[in-house]
Amino acid sequence: MGNSLTSLRLKSVRNLVILIIVWEIVGRMDWIAGGALPGLSEILTRLWIDRGDYPGHIWATVYASGLGFLIGNVLAIAAGIAFVLSPTLLRLMRGVNIAIFALPPIAIAPILVLTLSGMAPRVTLAALGVYFVTMSATVIGLSQYDTRSADLVRAYGGGNWLILKLVRIRGAIPDILSGLRIAAPNAVLGAILAEFGGGGRWGLGTYLLGSLGRGDPARLWGIGLVATLIAGLSYAIFAVISSRISGSTRSVTLNTAIPSSHGENAYGRSIQALILCGTITLPFVLWWAFIKLTGVPDLIAKTPHGVFEYLFLNDTSAIARGKLLAALGQTLPIAALGMIAGLAFAFLLAISSRMFPGFIKGFMPVALVTQTMPLVALTPLLVLILGRGYSVTLWITISVTFFPAFVLLVQGIQRVPQSVLDLPRAYGASAWTEMRMVSIPAALPYLFAATRLTVPRALLGVMIAEWLATGTGLGNLLNRSRGYLDYGMIWTVAAVSVLLSVAIYYLVLIVERRTLVRLGMQNVE
Amino acid sequence: MKYTMNRRHFMGTAAASTAALAIAGRAHATTPFTMQAAWINDAEFAGYFLALDNGYYTDEELDLTYLSGGPDVIPESTIIAGRADLALTLPDTTIRAISEQGAKFKIIGTQYQKNPLGIVSLKKSGINSPADLIGKTVAVPPVNTVTIEALLKLNGIDLNEVNIVPYSYDPTPLVRGEIDASLDFTTNVPFTISTLGEEANSFLIYDYGVTTFNDTIVVTEETLATKRAELVGWLRASRKGWEENLADPTVYPPQWADTWFKGTGRSIENEVFFNEAQKDLITADTGVFSMSEEAIEKNIEALAAVGISGSREMFDTTLLEEI
Repeated sequence: MGNSLTSLRLKSVRNLVILIIVWEIVGRMDWIAGGALPGLSEILTRLWIDRGDYPGHIWATVYASGLGFLIGNVLAIAAGIAFVLSPTLLRLMRGVNIAIFALPPIAIAPILVLTLSGMAPRVTLAALGVYFVTMSATVIGLSQYDTRSADLVRAYGGGNWLILKLVRIRGAIPDILSGLRIAAPNAVLGAILAEFGGGGRWGLGTYLLGSLGRGDPARLWGIGLVATLIAGLSYAIFAVISSRISGSTRSVTLNTAIPSSHGENAYGRSIQALILCGTITLPFVLWWAFIKLTGVPDLIAKTPHGVFEYLFLNDTSAIARGKLLAALGQTLPIAALGMIAGLAFAFLLAISSRMFPGFIKGFMPVALVTQTMPLVALTPLLVLILGRGYSVTLWITISVTFFPAFVLLVQGIQRVPQSVLDLPRAYGASAWTEMRMVSIPAALPYLFAATRLTVPRALLGVMIAEWLATGTGLGNLLNRSRGYLDYGMIWTVAAVSVLLSVAIYYLVLIVERRTLVRLGMQNVE
Repeated sequence: MKYTMNRRHFMGTAAASTAALAIAGRAHATTPFTMQAAWINDAEFAGYFLALDNGYYTDEELDLTYLSGGPDVIPESTIIAGRADLALTLPDTTIRAISEQGAKFKIIGTQYQKNPLGIVSLKKSGINSPADLIGKTVAVPPVNTVTIEALLKLNGIDLNEVNIVPYSYDPTPLVRGEIDASLDFTTNVPFTISTLGEEANSFLIYDYGVTTFNDTIVVTEETLATKRAELVGWLRASRKGWEENLADPTVYPPQWADTWFKGTGRSIENEVFFNEAQKDLITADTGVFSMSEEAIEKNIEALAAVGISGSREMFDTTLLEEI
């Protein structure tokens, strides 16, 4: 065991070294789009020359993303615990949760800059980026507990609170940690995106904006690498903690009792309808309250009613609707395609990670770079490689979608208890047969959860590509509207992109429920 | 959300107490005054940096807070929201906001007599006038869509004859020939293009019918009514800063390497180039910020071509007379 682990490590180090050498050669020879990808040594040289610039920017980014990460996660874990204790609250807040999850940062950043000032837009965007991931990880962890341990506590006279404390929270820690791990890069990216647009003096996003005009890929990659390093370090911290802890909390044998989906039908029809009503209206109430609290005038801050008026009651409503529908017609098909492509890629990677662990370990640093490299830095370079057609949009969409789905799928595959794996192994099944017959079906709830996770990110990816490369669809409409001071449209695009994500999310959820109920599995929140 | 609000509040209090301390240290009481710039720190705003450094605003009894801009910052929004007293804007958007959304703005001066925006291309591609853009790919920042529409319309070119793609502030696609031209500040990008080993060519949209100002100085009607003295003071101090800066454009940018221009990601040589190139676009016979009747008329005419209906009442030249 010790030997194979050492060889595994050696392999991943070897892969990394190969990767760096290939990168250096490709970069030095200017093979990719005439130097759009510089060699690592060129990037490091540039970093060294620019070393005086970085501390101020790094500090600003770390401050905003760290504060956002903290606020977002404290709220997320508290909310997760509250939701598990009160399924009614979870159902009531579902609309809000999904809306937060579905907010495309590039549509929200301009709105935050309009309504808040100073560091607040950065911190808020970072906090919004982490909330859903950690909240859902907390709920997953707390709901998928071993009922036998809970029965034990109950047999000794323990109540729900004691079960929560002794069994569920303990069991949920690996999930919460993996949530924090995914959330960390989100916080950094959120802060950088807000810095890029928000006009502050310091922050890596601001530095990036100033550097774009230099036409110096080494500088852009350097900023990207520094962002990656910050995100990667925070990711690594939680990865290490989670690998230390996860060993002691995994169940050794399989629990054959299926946890009951309690709470869903505990109420009468009228109360259920009331809750549903609350679920739908709550996000709009919060939206309205946010505007009223910030005290920003009606002209620039549109309430739900303001957006409705803009789209349906004004003289210009027909024109606005026309623009919106045309943009949607361009954005939606490619977003659907990108989502499928991103999921397929994540699925392949997750399977490979079980079958070729060494390869995946070597690939992980690259994967992480794609997650934390600010896309605004890379898109002009990607355009040189891929042009301005569908391929650039698809690549960007895959790159923003695959990672969270991949992490979730790997988790699903890893959580298959040892005893289930022993059976095919005892019959001498190959790794592939074991994967096909046991691990993949067992990970099905996670595949559905990954699909839901991917929906809004696909929309985000497409909108970024539209904004910076293709000049079509919602992403372009949003940015043109800023030039027209068309505040109604800015809010409309944000609202519509959220509503759409929520709608598709529910579509997936319905399919998921039906399938999982038939298979006797529990869905992953 | 609640927490960030509290933080904001705290920051506000902190800023206020700093300001209070600053006031206590001076003989005259200064009035807090905030300006919203249009972009990140670069030579475009050199005059204000100089006036700040030399205390010209303090001389006018103003305690100036300078807010830099960025792609998501709509300067007009900042003054509507009351976070700044004055903003530097693109007249196209300001006038559209007044005429179409009933925004209560007044234009009280202009930094650029001629808009520095132009079509930048590589010399070898031979693009010397709007007509040469037919059949070419032009990168345009999505916020400047109105501007390119105006240029093509005023030169009788159909929008569909030019392939317009988004411009993302990076000249690399231009240098590599992925695009043929871009709409950008002619005072800025040609420098980068030359450092990348190519020769740039550019023309101002101003010279082809889009006769507009840029960085127009905009205030709300309310500010105009309540802070007239401060606004005149700001104009006077800023004009002083600009005139001194433009007397020799090579002098000041290098002095700001460790202050205003520290860590902006741009080079000092670029700022010197910018500062020299913008001199003729800012200078006016009747002093920086002037708006002659003829120039105002030209703005209204050019914008009318793209359906933006401006009028003389949107401009207020009386403060300039008080400088």
